[in-house]
Amino acid sequence: MPESAPHGSADGDLAPVLARLEDVSKNFGSRRVLKGISFELRKGEILGFLGPNGAGKTTAMRILTGYFPPSQGRVWIGEQDLFREPQKLKRRIGYLPESVTLYGEMRVCEFVEFAAQVKGLAGIKKRREVEEKLTRCGLWDVKHRLIGRLSKGFRQRIGIAQALIGDPEILVLDEPSNGLDPKQIMEIRGLIRELAQDRTLILSSHILPEVSALCDRVLIINKGSVIASGTADELESGLRERHELVITLGPPADKAGVFRLLENVPGLERISIETAREGLVTVVVGIEKGRDVRAELSRLFVTQNLPLLEMRSGRLSLEEIFMKLVLEENEDASQREDA
Amino acid sequence: MRNTFAVAAKEMRSFFYSGAGVLVFFFFYVMAGIFFSLSVLSYARLSMESLKEGYQAVEGLGLTRFVFSGLFLNLGAVLLFLAPVMTMRSLAEERKLQTLELLYTYPLSDFDIVFGKFLGLVWIFELLFLPTAGYLWILHSLGGVFDWGPILTAYLGFWLLGGAFLSLGLFISSLTENQVVSAVVTFAVLLILWMLEWISDAVGGSAAGFIRALSPFAHYRDFTLGILDLSHAAYFVLFHFFFLFLTMRSVETRHWKS
Repeated sequence: MPESAPHGSADGDLAPVLARLEDVSKNFGSRRVLKGISFELRKGEILGFLGPNGAGKTTAMRILTGYFPPSQGRVWIGEQDLFREPQKLKRRIGYLPESVTLYGEMRVCEFVEFAAQVKGLAGIKKRREVEEKLTRCGLWDVKHRLIGRLSKGFRQRIGIAQALIGDPEILVLDEPSNGLDPKQIMEIRGLIRELAQDRTLILSSHILPEVSALCDRVLIINKGSVIASGTADELESGLRERHELVITLGPPADKAGVFRLLENVPGLERISIETAREGLVTVVVGIEKGRDVRAELSRLFVTQNLPLLEMRSGRLSLEEIFMKLVLEENEDASQREDA
Repeated sequence: MRNTFAVAAKEMRSFFYSGAGVLVFFFFYVMAGIFFSLSVLSYARLSMESLKEGYQAVEGLGLTRFVFSGLFLNLGAVLLFLAPVMTMRSLAEERKLQTLELLYTYPLSDFDIVFGKFLGLVWIFELLFLPTAGYLWILHSLGGVFDWGPILTAYLGFWLLGGAFLSLGLFISSLTENQVVSAVVTFAVLLILWMLEWISDAVGGSAAGFIRALSPFAHYRDFTLGILDLSHAAYFVLFHFFFLFLTMRSVETRHWKS
């Protein structure tokens, strides 16, 4: 079972649910890869799937795309059970598998046409759809090239183009920027952002900045369970046991002096001088939960004649949240095993 | 059905784009050409001799029987080598490239995928052997007279034999992601099937009949001789069903095997 309840699902006027996984488990032999995960995908959102390698991200995505059925639980696409009418419902989902190599010996347009054909398009409709998706994914100029001869970045676009064929409501992208160089990653992200404007997306990644840059909502999976979900902000506020303050002081502040000064202030837990350059000193201090020392500190600096240039609360990055959650989870698990 | 055709057409296209496709066609026509020329030449020599000896016609020395029965029997043996090359990519390569994952998530049923692949292979096979009808045309234009019945049954038998081999190869291709393994195992199994007739001869007794009944070549031979026996046709239909069914089950193992 998920260990923390999803945030922000209480109010009634949310976008309609397009897909829902209900207590989904997957076993391969005696190995339990997914342990009863549940989540829903709402129209128009970008949901990020975050988790260390082997957490069950790909398995969850494969179940959502109808690759294989879950061992237990159900998958709803709209109001219908995906595995009752797979042929019909799979049309509503476009999928880019992780590290798919595609048919190297086929030409770009041939492959995209094939995708259109098996998705049930024919004649003029097929041609128009293929043209539109090739253009949209920036493949028009290479449409007669062999897929095997194109760069990984192009191949990933072809993967996205085939997923887009037939305009599925839901787009599932498994590690879309895996194995790309920085420039290609930028391009793919741009494309994804563009696509997200009129579509619902679910994308998995182990690259955290990517998820925080692209996604409205994040689902953190570890060892086959959802351990947290919500927006990046929600996750952060739920986790913040300790406030952090970032303070910048101007000259004549010096590192040692500031440190001595702050040492004597009660309620500060951790003081670290991050940078000291061009006469500026930046300090990060941890503050006990439920305590506000900002007024006290600003007065202190004034009495010491130190110009206070900046004071803001520090935020946990998604990376820190992720590491924290996963580490805590793993510690808990090992404690349970010990006991 | 349109989905099945789309898969079949893609299968055929991929085959011709691959180097193996070109090799299969080349090898088949070299072999077919050699067998055809040799049997035509020896037919010509024999009939010249029999004319010299003063016989009008020799029993059993009909053009159809002598040239085409022999040719099709030999082509059956050539298929032992070619069928594994034709099927080795089919599912194995798709699994390796992970394009199978795409196929499984397209609005296709497992049947569409398996039968579509099989159909594509059969189309390739038909393209491969139908041009051999050119041999008939060559002999016909040289004044040859045929008995059309045995020729038609030989083609039917060859078509069934080829389909049977391809269904077996497709199944084996579904078990691995390595093309070479797929080809080698398919070839080994076909070779064993080929040897069943000898084995049955060696074993003798009541088991011999049973072993013989399993051999595709024993069933194929009558077709090349112009004998249309329903039990032979039934054997090949069952062979197809059996291996296509196994392929379906094999494709389904993704549900519980990671």
